[in-house]
Amino acid sequence: MFGRSRSWVGGQGRSKNIHSLDHLKYMYHVLTKNTTVTDHNRNLLVETIRSITEILIWGDQNDSSVFDFFLEKNMFAFFLNILRQKSGRYVCVQLLQTLNILFENISHETSLYYLLSNNHVNSIIVHKFDFSDEEIMAYYISFLKTLSLKLNNHTVHFFYNEHTNDFALYTEAIKFFNHPESMVRIAVRTITLNVYKVDNQHMLHYIRDKTAVPYFSNLVWFIGSHVIELDKCVQTDEEHKNRGKLSDLVAEHLDHLHYLNDILIINCEFLNDVLTDHLLNRLFLPLYVYSLVSQEQCEDRKINPQVSLYLLSQVFLIIHYQPLVNALADVILNGDLSVFSAQPEQNPLKNSSNAGVRRFTKPPESLERSLEMSRQRGRKKAQKRPNYKNVGEEEEEERGAEDGPEEEKAKGTEASSKASRTSGDTEEIEMVVMEKCKISDVSTLTEQNITDEEKTAAALCEWSFLPFLDMVYNALDCEKEDYHALFVLCLLFAMTHSKGINPALLEKIQLPVPGQERSSYSQVLVERLIRIMNQAAQPDGRVRLATLELSCLLLKQSVLSSTQCIIKDVHLACLELFSGNVLLLQGEEIFLDMFEDEYRSMTSKPLNVEYLMMDASILLPPTGTPLTGIDFVKRLPCGDVEKTRRAIRVFFMLRALSLQLQGEPETQLPLTRPEDLIKTDDVLDLNNSDLIACMVVSKDGVQAQRFLAVDVYQMSLVEPDTKRLGWGVVKFAGLLQDMQVSGVEDDSRALNITIHKPASNPHAKPLPILQASFIFADHIRCIIAKQRLAKGRIQARRMKMQRIAALLDLPVQPSSEVLGFSQSAASASQLPFRFYDQARRGPAFASVDKVPGFAVAHVAQHSPSALCPPSPNSSTSSSADHCDYVTASSASTQSTAQSSSDEAVGSRMVLTDSALPVLAPAPALAPSLTPAAQPTISLLSDADAETLSVDSLTLLPPADPPRLRAFSSQSSVQEETPSAAHDEDLKPEESSARSGLLKGPKPTFFRPPPTSSIYEAKIAHNSFIKRQFSIHPVSLKIKQTVPLRLTYVNELVLVTSQKSFIQSGPLLLHIFIQRVSDTF
Amino acid sequence: MAYAYLFKYIIIGDTGVGKSCLLLQFTDKRFQPVHDLTIGVEFGARMITIDGKQIKLQIWDTAGQESFRSITRSYYRGAAGALLVYDITRRDTFNHLTTWLEDARQHSNSNMVIMLIGNKSDLESRREVKKEEGEAFAREHGLIFMETSAKTASNVEEAFINTAKEIYEKIQEGVFDINNEANGIKIGPQHAATNSTLTGGQGGQQAGGGCC
Repeated sequence: MFGRSRSWVGGQGRSKNIHSLDHLKYMYHVLTKNTTVTDHNRNLLVETIRSITEILIWGDQNDSSVFDFFLEKNMFAFFLNILRQKSGRYVCVQLLQTLNILFENISHETSLYYLLSNNHVNSIIVHKFDFSDEEIMAYYISFLKTLSLKLNNHTVHFFYNEHTNDFALYTEAIKFFNHPESMVRIAVRTITLNVYKVDNQHMLHYIRDKTAVPYFSNLVWFIGSHVIELDKCVQTDEEHKNRGKLSDLVAEHLDHLHYLNDILIINCEFLNDVLTDHLLNRLFLPLYVYSLVSQEQCEDRKINPQVSLYLLSQVFLIIHYQPLVNALADVILNGDLSVFSAQPEQNPLKNSSNAGVRRFTKPPESLERSLEMSRQRGRKKAQKRPNYKNVGEEEEEERGAEDGPEEEKAKGTEASSKASRTSGDTEEIEMVVMEKCKISDVSTLTEQNITDEEKTAAALCEWSFLPFLDMVYNALDCEKEDYHALFVLCLLFAMTHSKGINPALLEKIQLPVPGQERSSYSQVLVERLIRIMNQAAQPDGRVRLATLELSCLLLKQSVLSSTQCIIKDVHLACLELFSGNVLLLQGEEIFLDMFEDEYRSMTSKPLNVEYLMMDASILLPPTGTPLTGIDFVKRLPCGDVEKTRRAIRVFFMLRALSLQLQGEPETQLPLTRPEDLIKTDDVLDLNNSDLIACMVVSKDGVQAQRFLAVDVYQMSLVEPDTKRLGWGVVKFAGLLQDMQVSGVEDDSRALNITIHKPASNPHAKPLPILQASFIFADHIRCIIAKQRLAKGRIQARRMKMQRIAALLDLPVQPSSEVLGFSQSAASASQLPFRFYDQARRGPAFASVDKVPGFAVAHVAQHSPSALCPPSPNSSTSSSADHCDYVTASSASTQSTAQSSSDEAVGSRMVLTDSALPVLAPAPALAPSLTPAAQPTISLLSDADAETLSVDSLTLLPPADPPRLRAFSSQSSVQEETPSAAHDEDLKPEESSARSGLLKGPKPTFFRPPPTSSIYEAKIAHNSFIKRQFSIHPVSLKIKQTVPLRLTYVNELVLVTSQKSFIQSGPLLLHIFIQRVSDTF
Repeated sequence: MAYAYLFKYIIIGDTGVGKSCLLLQFTDKRFQPVHDLTIGVEFGARMITIDGKQIKLQIWDTAGQESFRSITRSYYRGAAGALLVYDITRRDTFNHLTTWLEDARQHSNSNMVIMLIGNKSDLESRREVKKEEGEAFAREHGLIFMETSAKTASNVEEAFINTAKEIYEKIQEGVFDINNEANGIKIGPQHAATNSTLTGGQGGQQAGGGCC
């Protein structure tokens, strides 16, 4: 009845009834005729199987009778038959693929049940394919994965046989857990996760009792082996050549951790117990934590401390399973070495066993063998007692053969009551249960787990030595480099943010738990953090920006309780001491762009600790060169430009930190706030503004008639408002500072104007937001426009530099400038000023564009001063543009920065001997910080105290007391004329009188350390002094309420002979205070 | 079967955009899409020829495993190429591209070649996403773009092969470290020994796609 001519082959596919029961019957016929695979019928068979699959899928969606037929004729048996004939790769692959397709596309549960009944699928799973063939391997594991995706509480019974203790899908899959092909390993993990997800108690008990120990111990060993390889890779690295391999190994470790976490968050309790036990006692504690402290190389299975810190950070960032991470954290924070002391004298065999000792050891047998044995035992037992719990006896036999059971027995009995609910389980499981109750009780962790001998040993060193914590804190030292410190910060960050760690554990050692109310903080930690910041503030500090940012995060976390800041004044003072003197203002035009650019990139990309800890490059010693491709924040600066960029960032971070700790809002940064700017479609009052009519021709030829208006920071193109006379609607507004103007060669009435959008990414090409030629009525107007734009650009930049200068000096000065046309006159009257470190910036004076005239004027004026080094190019460079400011600037040396704020003109206070050295050393402080304790400085002023502005009490350099007194009276004179200073009406005489005064004292200044040329500089009120010396302003809070601004602290009264100048901030303050008191 | 290189691909995108159908269409054309029977597959392999060299493509669909973070991140990392698929008849699948892309960039190695595919181009009448939008998205993010139809097999071949060509070019440029299998590229067994001679000898040949 089956005509030979019938074209059934799917390739033609045009047969009308290719999807039908009849066709399936025909296929059945073909199969029965070809039970033996030969070279001739191979293609036919493959095609037949494929067609059957297609019909079945069609049947699933359209006609269930095909399944009846399929089942009735037991057609799956043919598939198996074909497989078992060693029919070769081609048939194997095709068969596996079609099975894959079949199971993936079946959507009805009943169809699935049909296919899964008769146990044929399990026979296919256990079939010994040629797994050395990568294609067969890939199709096979995909097939298992597809099946695992179909697992649920019902279908699991087709795969897991309770009575024979068989779960081929799972046990066959996990045999490939360490397959060299990564895709295969991933598939295995997927399968296991899909299995664990099924909430079937019997199946899960089977998994735990029969497979969990072998699988997890092998898995843990596999992970550990990777870690050792990773460590080797770090150790043998030369000049970052291993980075490619290293990043693979790191990613692999992350994969493992994520996998473990995925298992743990399925939250199958008794599986988690076994897993936690293995992870903790076979990997994390013996390999990671132990490596933190063991100095001797006696143990060959040991990794570098920095690697272990890095890996532990990853563990805490990724895994949040409470029993695991809490126990791990407890050992790190509270544990000592007794955790590891094995009992070799007690039981020499134990070391090699897989029993309770915390060792990173290879599992005694391969996973495959373990599974095989377990399965056979199960089979044997099943005849007697078909129960999944019936394994105790064999386990005992086996263990007795392997190692001494005494220890385990002891533990077993100890925990027997706990284990009663799983009575009949192996002792191994009991041990796990015990482990768990131990973990849950944090405080008794060590006690419960150790023997009497260990307890005695532990008692000896109880509380005296916490080696891990000690190591962690010590690694925060950044004196030479911050290699370890970065990892420690990450670790602390990860631990304090872990959801799995009991907050009490952290609070015990005063680690900050985010979002918790608290009244104290860890002095040790905070002081170390402050030291890192101090190091970072040094020009040649070996602290990377990422380290600093993390330190700031942790510090804030430590001292900011939800409602208030609980930082001690002494710590705040230390912080303030060096936070101000990080940045040197530079005259180069690029400085402003860098300043704003750094601010943008810093705020647009806040530190993500998890991403940071995914980067393998930080595992290698910190390097400076950008050629490695390492992100700027993760390496040291290279060259002057990067040093400046770094200094700017450090400044931003420390400033933000300082403001936040003092509860003050940021009012000065960013320099350009979008909300202050004129925007398109704004309507402006342009009465009395200078407007120039022009034709704007954009690149694409679009023409428009516009009026050009130049504001303080922006230029805008407006068209008249139809509603109000003299008002204009903004059609375009762009920042003057980013503008480029050039003439057009053959047209004297035209200008080319380009304005770039500041690039958000420093590597990206700046995008022009305006690129057009402007055509004016005549060449005069064109020249006027050009001048106005050019001058506006210089002015806009200068204004911003001025604001940076103010930033570096006074944190007061509310942003009073309102950007707008009406304000422009007032704003322009603010005097731009800059100053330069002569040593480095001197040659720049020759450049017209870079040097404002007034700065030159200062140099000229004060050069007679004995202490003022000769100024290069002092009078050659004032460009016409700058001349206007020369006179005025000299008059306002004291007040430029304060022109808009009367408060800021601050009264000056003078230290007196009576008040100074009242130092009460706080006992708990770390040595380096002790001297800075609570400086109870009281201040005396000639001026009436009530007139003082508490915000800005300024401490002047105390030279000889009489002169100082004279000066301070001068200050009070000055204070009487703040408005005069503000209006720049100070008479030249007055100004020079003041200058003379400043010259007067001639204090012997301590020379700053050799590096100070880049170190230095904070703009203070008086640019004269600033230009001479390094100045370190300090803010102190006195009696917790009145923040005083001590300016000019650093090199003050220290005599030149004293070579023991120490850069450390707190110490500096201490020396200063002592010296001041000595002087008086 | 001997091959010069093996490239591992993954297919990503929202559910229901036709990923597994694309894959089946590419790896086994004998499954003709008729009778509204949609058939897909999660894994497939096929040999193609580029520049006279046999190249094996191994394609892994990540469907159904999104709930496990460890799995998705591992898949990304092990692949040399990714097909990012959306459905031109469903705007939301296009809107989710950014998320997919972020994920891919986050987890994959930086050299992974990503091809953007607007699938179901046969359903012109129900189109919700214009071809130009797909092109713009691809341009913005540096992807190759193509509209395909798993149903009519239009452009399916090209999508897989063009991705392979791109990877192959990167290998020629030395961007990919082919000795590092974690990149999703493997050198064929016979090729490994004679690698240098082959590269030198066939470098001048003109690139030509095709399939076996």
